[in-house]
Amino acid sequence: MVTDLVIRAQRGDKDAYALVVAEIADRFLAVARRILRDLDLAEDATQQALLAIWQDLPQLRDPARFEAWSYRLLVRACYAEGRKERRWVPNLRLLPTDEPISIDDLGSVVDRDELERGFRRLSIDHRAVVVLHHYLDLPLERVADILGIPVGTAHSRLHHAMRGLRAALDADARPPVREVAQ
Amino acid sequence: MSADRDITRIVRSWLRTDEHESADRVLDIVLARLDATPQRRSLWPARRISDMNAIAKFAIAAAAVVVIAVAGINLMPASTGVGGGPAVSPSASSSPAPQPSPTPTPAAAVFPPAGELAIGRHSMIRGGVPFSISLPTAGWQSEQGYFIGKDVGVGPDGASFLFWDPDPQGVYADPCAHRLRPPAGPSPADLAADVSTIPGTDVVSGPSDVTVGGRDAIQVVITVPEDAPCEASEDSGFLLWYDEGPGSGCGGPPCPRYPSALGVTIRVWIVDVHGTRLFIEAESYKGAGPEVEQEIQQIVDSIQFE
Repeated sequence: MVTDLVIRAQRGDKDAYALVVAEIADRFLAVARRILRDLDLAEDATQQALLAIWQDLPQLRDPARFEAWSYRLLVRACYAEGRKERRWVPNLRLLPTDEPISIDDLGSVVDRDELERGFRRLSIDHRAVVVLHHYLDLPLERVADILGIPVGTAHSRLHHAMRGLRAALDADARPPVREVAQ
Repeated sequence: MSADRDITRIVRSWLRTDEHESADRVLDIVLARLDATPQRRSLWPARRISDMNAIAKFAIAAAAVVVIAVAGINLMPASTGVGGGPAVSPSASSSPAPQPSPTPTPAAAVFPPAGELAIGRHSMIRGGVPFSISLPTAGWQSEQGYFIGKDVGVGPDGASFLFWDPDPQGVYADPCAHRLRPPAGPSPADLAADVSTIPGTDVVSGPSDVTVGGRDAIQVVITVPEDAPCEASEDSGFLLWYDEGPGSGCGGPPCPRYPSALGVTIRVWIVDVHGTRLFIEAESYKGAGPEVEQEIQQIVDSIQFE
C-alpha cells in the first residue's frame, strides 16, 4: 500500500505523498526527538526530512526500499540539526572518584537525568544507532543499511554508546562527583 | 553480562518513557510547502532500477560531507529578509544564475536564513567585514544562518558551509580526551601554527601562504585518522578547536566546536582582513569526490571583500 503511494508520489502526486507523510510523520518525529533530545530541533529535522524526501523521491531507485531510504534522510536531517545543538555544548566532564560502582534504583529520576546527560554526550552517529536499534527494534544489519555504514561499525557504535550510557549511570552512583569546566 | 543486560533494559525503557509526540504541526508545514518544493527528477530510467543496485551501493559509500566554516566574524543577520521560506531558488534545472553582486553593501548583505540558495553570489557581513561568496552550482541549502549545506550522496551526509562565530580561540591538546591547549596568539600565523600541530591529526599540507579575496591568508590541510582512539574513550567525539562563545549560552567559556568525524579532511584558510582574523573551514569525507572538492576551492576562490 505504502509502496503504491510512494510510486505515485515519485511521479509528483502530492495527494499520495500527503498520505505517505501522514503515515510516517509521527514515527519520524519520535525518532528525531529521541536522537536530538529536543522537540524543537526534532520538529525541524522531521520537517526538513519530509521535504527532502519529497524532493528526492524521483531518485529513489527501488520504491520497496522507501523505509530505509527515508530513515536515512531523517538521520541526515538530525545530523544537520545536531550540529546546531553541538555548537553550544558546554565542555563539562564528570570526574569519577574511586568509589565502587553500583546500579540501584534503576527507574529513578536521577537515573533518567544521568541517562539524558550521558546520551547528550554521545555523537549523533552513536545516538542514531541506539535509537534505531533499541527504540525501533531494528536489527543492526538494518541499522547499518539505513546509515550506510558497515555492520561492524554499527556494532562498534552501539557498544561504545552503551558503554558511555553505563558510565553515566555509574558516575551517578559514585558520591561525590565533581563537575568541572575545562 | 548481567550489567550489560541491565543497561540495555534501562535504555530501552528510557527511550520508551518519553511522552507521545504529535507531528500535526510539522505535517501542516510540510504539506503547505510541497507546492513550493519541486522534485528533483531522476537521471536513471525506471526500468534500470534493478540493475543499479551495485552502483547505488557505491554511491552510498562515496557519499561526501563537506563543511566550510567561516569564523572570526559576528553572527550573520537574524532571520530577516527572506522570511525563513525554504526555497530561495526553484531547482538546479530551472534556476538561472542570478547576476553577481560584485560590490556587496551592508544594506544588501542579508544572507537567506533558510532554504535553497540560488547559483551565484551571496553577500554577508560578519564582525563588520562585508564579503561575498559565489556558489557555482545549485543544491546548496541555507540552514537558518548557521551553515549552508549540499547533499552529495544518498548517505546521512552532504556538503555544507558553516558560519561560525567567533573564530576559534584555541585548539585541543588531546582531541579525544578533550584537554585544551592554551589560547592561540592573535595573528593568523599563530592560529595556523596551532591548527597544524593538533595531536592526533595528520598534516596534509601547510601552513602555506596563499591569498583569499586578494588578502593574505594561511592555508592548512589536515586529516583526522579513521583509527583515531576516540572510539575507545568514554566521551565520544574528536574535538579540534574551542571558542569563547559569548552570548551563546554554551555554559563556557570555553565552548567546544562540534566533534569532527573520523576520516575527515579539513581545509582551513585563515585570512587577515584589516586586522580581523577570518577563519574559513572546509571538511570533506573520504568519498567526497573531486567535483565537490573542486567546488569548495571554487567557492573559496570566489570570496570578495568589500
